[in-house]
Amino acid sequence: MIREDAGILRKERLESLLEDLLRDHLVLAPTRKGELLLLEKIESARDVVLEDGKTKNSAKSALFPQRERMFAYRAEEGKVDIQVPPPAEEKQILFGVRPCDARGLLLLDAVFGGDSRDPYYVDKRIRTLVVSMACVNPGPSCFCLSLGGGPCSSDGSDLVLLDLGDRYVVEAASEKGKAFLQNPSFEEADEEAMAKAEKIRKEAESAMNPASIAKALEERLEHVDDPLWGDLTESCLGCGVCTYLCPTCHCFDICDEAAATTGERIRIWDSCQFPLFTQEASGFNPRPSEKERFRQRIMHKFRYLPKDRHMAGCVGCGRCVTECPVNLDIREVLEKLSRAEAQ
Amino acid sequence: MSQLTHEIREAARKLLRNKQAQLVIGFEEGSLPLRGRPCFIRKEEDVDRLVWTSFSDINVARYLAKRKEKVALVAKGCDSRALVELIKENQVSRDQVIIIGVPCEGMIDRPRIEAEVGHKAIVEVEETENRLTLKGRDFEKAFDRREFLYERCKACDHRNPVLYDVLVGQLVEEKVRESFPDVEAFTALDREKRWAYLAEETGKCIRCYACRNACPLCYCPECFVDTSQPQWVGKSTGLSDTLVFHLVRAFHLAGRCVACGACEQACPMGVDIRKLNRKLVKDVKDLFNYEAGVSLDEASPLATFCATDPDQFTVNP
Amino acid sequence: MKESGTWEPKIVAFLCNWCSYAGADLAGISRIQYPPTIRIIRVPCSGRIDPLFILASLQKGADGVLVSGCHPGECHYLTGNYSARRKFALLKGLLEYVGLEEDRVQFSWVSASEGARFAKVVEKVTARITALGPAKQLVKNVPGGSFDVAAHS
Repeated sequence: MIREDAGILRKERLESLLEDLLRDHLVLAPTRKGELLLLEKIESARDVVLEDGKTKNSAKSALFPQRERMFAYRAEEGKVDIQVPPPAEEKQILFGVRPCDARGLLLLDAVFGGDSRDPYYVDKRIRTLVVSMACVNPGPSCFCLSLGGGPCSSDGSDLVLLDLGDRYVVEAASEKGKAFLQNPSFEEADEEAMAKAEKIRKEAESAMNPASIAKALEERLEHVDDPLWGDLTESCLGCGVCTYLCPTCHCFDICDEAAATTGERIRIWDSCQFPLFTQEASGFNPRPSEKERFRQRIMHKFRYLPKDRHMAGCVGCGRCVTECPVNLDIREVLEKLSRAEAQ
Repeated sequence: MSQLTHEIREAARKLLRNKQAQLVIGFEEGSLPLRGRPCFIRKEEDVDRLVWTSFSDINVARYLAKRKEKVALVAKGCDSRALVELIKENQVSRDQVIIIGVPCEGMIDRPRIEAEVGHKAIVEVEETENRLTLKGRDFEKAFDRREFLYERCKACDHRNPVLYDVLVGQLVEEKVRESFPDVEAFTALDREKRWAYLAEETGKCIRCYACRNACPLCYCPECFVDTSQPQWVGKSTGLSDTLVFHLVRAFHLAGRCVACGACEQACPMGVDIRKLNRKLVKDVKDLFNYEAGVSLDEASPLATFCATDPDQFTVNP
Repeated sequence: MKESGTWEPKIVAFLCNWCSYAGADLAGISRIQYPPTIRIIRVPCSGRIDPLFILASLQKGADGVLVSGCHPGECHYLTGNYSARRKFALLKGLLEYVGLEEDRVQFSWVSASEGARFAKVVEKVTARITALGPAKQLVKNVPGGSFDVAAHS
């Protein structure tokens, strides 16, 4: 039986597939820039690195860039000329992102899509195909399984590649993905390959700690004044690393960059960890220190978002754990809060 | 290493028991292999969290400002030098801090050693004497830690704390460094090459301010990047604003920066931030004969002046 | 209005009120000609100069910056220019180190009686910056003359 939703990609065909896609798509894939593994536009299939795990930046950069022009303006002779950038036309493919990043897009879709449709995001999103690479070797900082995802999850992806060693099993997770499988680079999926893939999937999942964090937490997070917060956040530097590298964090600021009578309005990433985030004009700040700001971040991700949008604001990618300059580990924070006596 | 850990714990225990300090700030094991992190000990029973490893690498003097209680600080050379500057700037008083000085033999350059094992996930790290063993899912590799120190640690000439109340371990031999080979090498490059290098490094910056926030000497209640009336520096990424941020921050640290490297270590993108600071450290030494963080009595170079300061840089038609 | 085709630099000149600004004023009163390339901003003392002024000028499109104060030892506020001298020395070194064209930022000491000398300073600075051409390195990429609408930078 020919499966419509799965296929095989032999590794030696990967390069030609990518070169083919590059002809009429913008392709973003993990690529090495010095010591950094970044998700960036690639010019050649040879620049793609699929085996080294997560990229430093998350997939949100492709749809919600750190700096984005909303419009440019010129004021002269009593009139203001505004030029909004034309909507994205080029189709883009995120190739080789990890399942956690793909899953993060689901939250961004809910925030930027829906009733308050954000054209800058949506225009790119509808033109984006997500081909993720399953994690067969989850790292020590990964905890996607605890947040309802998993190392081989297809949430948020159109297709998922799983490395069998000499070839990839490719599974479609959407209609777009199924259509993509028509590409001649893919071969029929055989039972042996599918069985092997299932085995690898189970092994990857069992290598992770399956503790469910989010559920245990919701009640515990009622206790806003717990002195435990002070201890847990004492080392926090108040920088923006966790928020900027997080696949689900999406706060932004809008500002004008002007030069006399011309300029542009841009949207830039902002961080709730910066003091200015809640600084009021009077000088009062309702979140005066790292403690209040960090606490708010946890609440937002693990209490408010689950209540409002029925999804946690975290996909367990672990970037905040590995990149935090002082190794402030969100998993430990959640665990300590879950275990502590209610006040 | 473990002898130092033991001595640090004993010193902390004693200070807390005798109520000489209400808080001990030191280092503990991180939650991941190859990580250490700051810890804050207030009770005697927590003292065993304190460790001394090749990953005790952030600058803990950063956590001293604005504290009311008496603090014991576990300080290696660079931490103690930052502390000297903080004391001179009246951010902390000398009698408020009890320095548990630790002679340091350098910290491991994490990005480099991760690259050395091909960026494979590391599951366990063992450290004994000078041998560092990294274990992954399907590999095990041993290294001589002395070959994988941060460049700044290899070049360090203040491995011993410059100031301390309690000394743990034995003082180590100090290397005497007269010159700044890194600054000289960069200066020798063509102007266009230098600019291209800085432009590339600046391109990596994501304006997270981890560098600024990790720095013990960046304690301004309102940083210049956050002023909006007027707004001096734009907040977005983009060569001009980002480079100006780094230039001005380096300049604000002129004569105060002890080149501890907390900035470049905190940076998630590996930006070569310290390059700018090192140039200023050299110029402050050459022009004003001053080195930050070594003496409590020497006035800060930009807070004083000399009638005969050099001014060959001026236009003189 | 200048002829089209002959480019002239725009140089921001921070002049201290008591010496350099007065010196510039004297040049004007004495009808000493010097290139009309400088745009003067008067400050009380060269010690008031923050490196942000200099860098902001370059970001906003200045082709060069001149900072001028009293001769050391003659500061109206006694020691303002001594502090400035130290800051300027470090700043100049840092800007050159990062590869900024050396002549873009210049410093001078001009006294209130040195009208002719002020003109010479401006001539020299203008000549150096003209030779470099329009500044590009730190100019902020704000849409202006070529009203581009690239989606993002």
